[in-house]
Amino acid sequence: MSRLQKAAWFNLAMITICIIISIPCIFFLARENAKGIEYLLTCFVMACLVSPVAYVLLKKKSFETGFDEREKMINRRAFTISALCLIIFLACVCTIPFFVLGGQNVIKVYYLPLIFFCSIFTAQFAHSTAILIQCTLEEEDGQ
Amino acid sequence: MGSNRLSNNLRRLRFENGQMTQQQLADKVSVTRQTIIAIEAGKYAPSLPLAFKLAHTFGVSIEDVFQYENEQS
Repeated sequence: MSRLQKAAWFNLAMITICIIISIPCIFFLARENAKGIEYLLTCFVMACLVSPVAYVLLKKKSFETGFDEREKMINRRAFTISALCLIIFLACVCTIPFFVLGGQNVIKVYYLPLIFFCSIFTAQFAHSTAILIQCTLEEEDGQ
Repeated sequence: MGSNRLSNNLRRLRFENGQMTQQQLADKVSVTRQTIIAIEAGKYAPSLPLAFKLAHTFGVSIEDVFQYENEQS
């Protein structure tokens, strides 16, 4: 397994952990309708859980500088695919409720952070998957 | 319409230079073994600096390593 594939698997694992931690916290906040100090405490706990994962993901960027030109090309292509997936995801998330619920209806506010976290997950998932698929296809062709 | 293809003699050059492994060549030109595999298989066209590095490693000109084929159909 190349360094690029290892980075993709690592990225996928980290973002999944991040989502597993954050989504229940958002649901808890929404269900409890917490306000004031209770709300701040829950946000603090969530930040404490998510920030180490976010830090590791950011540190990974220094690891990626060691990629060679082919790996950088695969990474750039994967980034384009992830950007495309993100746009499609956001377009679906924003327009489907509009057409399903109608223009005069309302949606709950807690969907907003959920959309944010799901957008990040979608982009990272698409990025990692695109890298893994490209590497697998190349390996198959090379055999 | 014509199709362009970059063929190469990397595999032959490796064996002519003391049965050099893909990993050894990759280390010499500072890329991964997967990149050498992709170049040898014609799946990846290297950049000009990398192509020159590969040619210099074997002590030959770039034309001796890479050939540009333009197939007219």
